[in-house]
Amino acid sequence: MGVDWNSFLEGFTTAMSFQNLIFIIIGGLLGTVVGMLPGLGPATAVAVLIPITFGMDSTSALILLGAIYYGAMYGGSRSSILINTPGDGSAIAATFDGYPMTRKGQAGQALTLSTLASLVGGFVAIIGFVFLAKPLASFALQFGPAEYFFLLVFTLSAVVSLSKGNMIKGFVSMVLGLLITTIGVDSQSGVYRYTFDIPHLSEGIDFLVVIIGIYAVGEVLYNILLINNEDQRIKDDVGRSWITKEQWTRSFWPMVRQAPVGFLVGILPGAGGSIASMISYSTEQQLSKKSDEFGKGAPEGVAAPESSNNAAAVGAFIPLLTMGIPGSGTTAVILGALIMLGLQPGPMLFQDQPDVAWTFINSLFIGNIVLVIMNILLIGFLIKILKTPPHVLYPIILVLAFIGTYTLGYSIIDFFILVIFGIIGLFMKILNIPTAPLILAVIIGHQMEQNYRMASVSYDGLWAMITASPIAILFAVLTVASIFLPALFNRLSRVKVDNKG
Amino acid sequence: MKSRMKFLSVIMLALVLVLSACGNGSAESDYPSKNVEIVAPATPGGGWDATARALQNVLDEEGLVEQNMNVVNKPGGGGEVGWQYLKGKDSHSLSINSSLVIANNLLGQSDLTYEDFTPLAVLATEWISVAVPSDSDIEDGVDMLERLKEDPKSLKIAVGPALGNNDHLSFVRVADEYGVDVSQLEFMIYESGGDVLTALLGGHVDVATLSISESLEQHLSGNLDIIATTADEPIPEDESIESWQDQGIDFTFPHWRGIMGPPDMTEEEIAYWDETFSEMVESEEWQKVLDNNGWQDYYMNSEETKAFLDEQNEMYEDLMKTAGLTE
Repeated sequence: MGVDWNSFLEGFTTAMSFQNLIFIIIGGLLGTVVGMLPGLGPATAVAVLIPITFGMDSTSALILLGAIYYGAMYGGSRSSILINTPGDGSAIAATFDGYPMTRKGQAGQALTLSTLASLVGGFVAIIGFVFLAKPLASFALQFGPAEYFFLLVFTLSAVVSLSKGNMIKGFVSMVLGLLITTIGVDSQSGVYRYTFDIPHLSEGIDFLVVIIGIYAVGEVLYNILLINNEDQRIKDDVGRSWITKEQWTRSFWPMVRQAPVGFLVGILPGAGGSIASMISYSTEQQLSKKSDEFGKGAPEGVAAPESSNNAAAVGAFIPLLTMGIPGSGTTAVILGALIMLGLQPGPMLFQDQPDVAWTFINSLFIGNIVLVIMNILLIGFLIKILKTPPHVLYPIILVLAFIGTYTLGYSIIDFFILVIFGIIGLFMKILNIPTAPLILAVIIGHQMEQNYRMASVSYDGLWAMITASPIAILFAVLTVASIFLPALFNRLSRVKVDNKG
Repeated sequence: MKSRMKFLSVIMLALVLVLSACGNGSAESDYPSKNVEIVAPATPGGGWDATARALQNVLDEEGLVEQNMNVVNKPGGGGEVGWQYLKGKDSHSLSINSSLVIANNLLGQSDLTYEDFTPLAVLATEWISVAVPSDSDIEDGVDMLERLKEDPKSLKIAVGPALGNNDHLSFVRVADEYGVDVSQLEFMIYESGGDVLTALLGGHVDVATLSISESLEQHLSGNLDIIATTADEPIPEDESIESWQDQGIDFTFPHWRGIMGPPDMTEEEIAYWDETFSEMVESEEWQKVLDNNGWQDYYMNSEETKAFLDEQNEMYEDLMKTAGLTE
């Protein structure tokens, strides 16, 4: 498909019109603010704000909703970095090194780095969108149950392998997560599992409640109960906010090469930012010469997943706009809103209403630049959060956690679940069990099971599933590699050291 | 000064009492006397939510309801949570419903039945399509049924998001009537209609059953073929699409949406909504909502709705048994 440059330029002018520019700014700001709150991720942000698009023309509505979406993607990682509390699944990886940087007194730099990485990710993905939307959409269709199953298995194994030298603990964490996903109706058979006749549980436990419980509530409990010691508190000195040359050179290539990874994962319906950022983080850790610094505040550990999840957010628009298929919770909400406004995303959109499509793509581009400026300006303000005394900050986090939880299901039952996971999170911290495998397992466990069950109808046995297609083989091989290669490298490097000695 | 205030307020109170006593004589004009709440038993963004918000918008814009209206989301349990909530409210709360208000009970997933509520109207319907990839060698609906009759396991059929929904049941019903052994059918259950579409476009399943609004775009652009629909009228966008009726099978199946109130609404209250909704469905604004969402007008007033629900209940009871979902 050639790029229709006329429509492209026309779209650029429309997106730059005063009214639309204002919508980009308002949407970006609203999204950033909502995205920062624990549990209020992009999907909720967009859903809550849909009514303000009633009565707008469909192009402006699409621009506004898009801006809210990636605003929330930018915002989501702010709270990960500052208070170790991700706003959404795709911001989890930002806690791995972002929060350690904050503890080292580099909060400002971590925020700048994540903002720049988001820009690079978004930028690469938009270029990909302009030139490759159609062929990539048909590439995504090749993912059947077997391919999805192995992609998801690989993601899990990559994250478990992050818990270096402590694979057993990582594995336990993952199994616990998978067990949680067995709650709810089993789609393939319609059987109710562990729902105890509570209708609210029939749809399973929302992974966002688990995230808020383990991170926000667990973190607050841990700090209140166990840190009395002033030294352990985050340094008040938040450092300079501009990054050093070393941080930039270390992060540059990870940013650039993880953007296409995130973009490709984002295009797959149902995959999205959480999976993209986890895969990017773990591959960077494997590639890095300083892999032992990961988890302790390595700048590339912030840059890689941040670039990747933003690229994934852009990628998720490809199936939506080219096929009318929402690839994520957020794009599903956006699709609903667009249909109400009388715009039908799908194969006909680029033919019937190219102006809408290209205006939107250009608004993504402009929006990214606006958001970078906005977020860099906000840094000085945000790091003030760290100066808030704990007896003020912790109650605020708890209140936000409960509000965020309520908006997910409008149910009090979620509060109990939230508290339970807060306590689980507390114990996991005390026992030093990594939480990421659990969370990721909760996010993707259900999908993994259902895809396996469907694949087992289509193929006879595991071997037939693996050899279903080159894509399945690739992910099966990567899975094995992610488990055994780190161990192998470890052994090799030890041999080298021994030889020297 | 103080005593004067007291005196005034006593007078005011007396006046209010007298006035409200007079008001009792004409109760119907009082309803609704406060904010009206429309319960969407789903999260924001879904079909039920869309219906509730569209309703609120149109009633408000056309000035059909004087009082304020707001939409409340009560998601969970396929409508169960929202309807439990509605059951405890007064006549100023209404809820969107669909055939799930019948099916949940029959499937043993809910103690609530449609008879626990006051039926007010059926508003709109979607029709359901059976689609195949464009390179499929299945020619039409009857050809597909013929193959399934020979070997029910020969085709993988995609449906979402759950067994027992209308997409699933309508397929089972037409297959059963044709003489297919439906207990042997190979269904693959996807999370959403979007996932069903992806699976079909990618050729990971042979057939999909999904609403026309989900499949039509792809059909028109040639990525898949709709081989049958449950409609009782031609599809305006492409009149060459054949319904089951066109293929000689006497079968229609609406996927309807309606609205109901809490138990024990008075006749005046029911009459109020009959009048309001019958006016609303005539409005241009409502027509626009139908068009945008790919819905068809399917309006029935409260009387007709009641009879319709009884009839639907009987049909679903039958259908669940055939599908092997109930004993």
